[in-house]
Amino acid sequence: MIRALGIAGALVAIAAGAMLLAGANPIMGFYALFEGALGGKSQIAETLVQTTSLLFPSLAVAFAFRAGLFNIGAEGQLIIGGLLAGLIGARLDAPGFIAIPILLIAGAAGGALWSSIAGLLRARFGGSEVIATLMLNIVAALLANYLVVGPLHSPGAAGPETAELPHGSWLPTLLPGTRLSLALPIALVLALVLRYLFDRTVFGYELRAAGSAPEAARRAGINLAKTAFIAMALSGAMAGLGGATIVTGVLHRFNVSLSPGYGFIAIAVALVGDLDPLKIIIASFAFGILQSGALTMQALAQVPKDVVSFVEGLAILALAARRFVAERLRVQPAE
Amino acid sequence: MNSPISSPSSFRSGAGGAALELRGVSKTYPGGVHAVRNADLAVFPGEIHALCGENGAGKTTLASIAAGKLKASAGTVLAHGNVGLVHQHFELVDRLRVWENVVLGYEPHRGLRLDATAAHERVVALSQEYGLAVDPDAIVENLPVGIAQRVELLRELARNPSVLILDEPTAVLAPAEIDALFATVRALAERGTAVLIITHKLQEVISHTSRITVMRAGEVVAHFETADTTVDEIARAMVGGELPKLATRVETNLKPALVLRGLTAGESSFAVRDATFDVEGGEIVGIAGVEGNGQSALADAIAGVIPYQGSIELAGATLPAGDPAGRIARGIRTIPQDRRREALVLTWSIVENVALGDQRRPPLCRGINLNREAERALAKSIVERFDVRTPSIEASVAALSGGNQQKVVVGRALAHDPKFLLVYQPTRGIDVGAAALVQSRLIEARNAGVAVLLISFELDEILALCDRVLVMYRGAIVGNFTRGAIDRGRIGSLMAGASALGAAS
Repeated sequence: MIRALGIAGALVAIAAGAMLLAGANPIMGFYALFEGALGGKSQIAETLVQTTSLLFPSLAVAFAFRAGLFNIGAEGQLIIGGLLAGLIGARLDAPGFIAIPILLIAGAAGGALWSSIAGLLRARFGGSEVIATLMLNIVAALLANYLVVGPLHSPGAAGPETAELPHGSWLPTLLPGTRLSLALPIALVLALVLRYLFDRTVFGYELRAAGSAPEAARRAGINLAKTAFIAMALSGAMAGLGGATIVTGVLHRFNVSLSPGYGFIAIAVALVGDLDPLKIIIASFAFGILQSGALTMQALAQVPKDVVSFVEGLAILALAARRFVAERLRVQPAE
Repeated sequence: MNSPISSPSSFRSGAGGAALELRGVSKTYPGGVHAVRNADLAVFPGEIHALCGENGAGKTTLASIAAGKLKASAGTVLAHGNVGLVHQHFELVDRLRVWENVVLGYEPHRGLRLDATAAHERVVALSQEYGLAVDPDAIVENLPVGIAQRVELLRELARNPSVLILDEPTAVLAPAEIDALFATVRALAERGTAVLIITHKLQEVISHTSRITVMRAGEVVAHFETADTTVDEIARAMVGGELPKLATRVETNLKPALVLRGLTAGESSFAVRDATFDVEGGEIVGIAGVEGNGQSALADAIAGVIPYQGSIELAGATLPAGDPAGRIARGIRTIPQDRRREALVLTWSIVENVALGDQRRPPLCRGINLNREAERALAKSIVERFDVRTPSIEASVAALSGGNQQKVVVGRALAHDPKFLLVYQPTRGIDVGAAALVQSRLIEARNAGVAVLLISFELDEILALCDRVLVMYRGAIVGNFTRGAIDRGRIGSLMAGASALGAAS
């Protein structure tokens, strides 16, 4: 806890330094950041929208991590999930209680399909899921762009995007006049379900065993290949579901730039949240503040919004180092 | 405590002439673990000095400090000349040739170019000088352990050390190789080298050394002149009290359990080839052999985690390959070689670990959920029955000592009325008390009718526990010694590769 505060303090100091280097006043910068993120009802709602969009892929990354898999393809899975929801949504005219579940399931299925490519390579041939998921991010982005501009272009779509979804297919808003939708409670429920899964169920137990001690798990009769495949598919499903909620709840259409890198920031969020679904909710909120305050900071205090990305990057580095150092301290000679 | 000599410095007047002297050396690791506390040790030119102690007593730490590989937290280290350290686990570059390994870090060169000819000649000369025959051009990974150890020795001798430290040098050697090693060591001592041997094999200590230092729990607790002491006295100093007694074996009615027919598995030099034998309920069958002669492949095939040819039957039914879960369900339990990697999830509590392998069977699960009450009850009973020293059943197993970790593993294996128990090096790296407890529980399981297969590299352990002994050499079963016909000398020579002809059977 103290160490976490230490890291946070150091990051704040570095952020202040970065703002100074950018020729801005750090106090103004921080003020604008928090004003933009938490300064009123609509700002808070927007922060919660960002929180939600981060929460899905962060849970996805954490889920895979707990099973010993490094899914750095949440971004691509989120895009494919959103793409499927957008493509179907733009063409589907049905009452909301039918359309919305279909679109969310389609998004989850799209993400699962995408991550399963990496899962299959890993389960069947022992291929590195890191490389596969990383590369599939690029394929996903280009494929989505190609499809919405080319063969599956929707009439009425202006740029690299689908047509708008019929109003009936929009996720209901929680606060009128804001983009905050039912996606937030869905994400929160997902986090609770995952926590239950890890703590209470045999399936979660086997996932954690496979992730923490694969050799012991194998000898205890746990099928590592099968576990890896299922974990990867479910991880992708969560990220894809997140993409679908952005399409049905925030943008109301699929656009190729629907994610400012949620799937990548999610890696930091998952680590900050200690891979614990409940702590990840808090971590998502913290990163949501950064995401949503960044633009205000740029506008009001002339701090480039890249300072936020810079600090996020440093946070990942600090966490990776902390884990590394902790490992080193634990390892002692056999005698 | 049982120290016949009150202070180490009293036994040779002053420090005069010591090749290596440690005074008041302490080592504290981050986290506050005192690996070594205020240790004194002096090794003189021309002597073979044994450093004894249980696992975790601090021997290896002290040796690393003496060799300058580890920095002491307090105290002084005085060495006259180079200190060479031959590790228990060889530190050789597997893909390089013997001569390349020997000169590594001290390569003779002409300008920027490696002078291969000079290096080669130097290694040949060294090898002749010390009578350590090696092929300088062999690739290290292809060498048997005994030869690889010679390469390590040569590498250290190339630095012309005045002190040579050998850390558990005989752990991986067959009896004949051990004799050869000590012949070399004695020759070195006669040339004036000070030799420090770390070992827990007390018979070797008595036969080959001149003085003995005993450590316990990080402290030097006793010094002995070898001529004036006995194995028992050293052992009591190591343990700090009397040695625990083993459970007694009772007469059992044997009944068929596990049958192997033509079992072949594993890769190249570590494979098991065409092994046919059986283990009956109510007996402990030992597999004697030097490490790396196919024991791991044999164990993994029985556990169902590697593919194999041939058949494995339990109580008349052939087991499907590649099905560890099915084996567990049929009552085959294993105590694997590497408990930290193969048996436990170190970051988990005792409670979570005791369910591993049975997580899908009631009472440890209820539908899709785990049954925490049943897990806790099981953990509690194992902790009590096996005397696991832990602050709580919720403590992570990483925090337990090796002996207590092993008690958890053995307790779990015995908790569900196993029919067959595969036990691999069950007492490696654990203290004498825990070892005796584990061995006693194995004997009790045997008395209760369990079929036990014990794979061990410690011949003493095999002889103490087993009803029958099989010898494994280069993947084959080369000897079969039945009850009442177990011949230690014969087993030793078969382990070293003597022809199987004439083995008692």
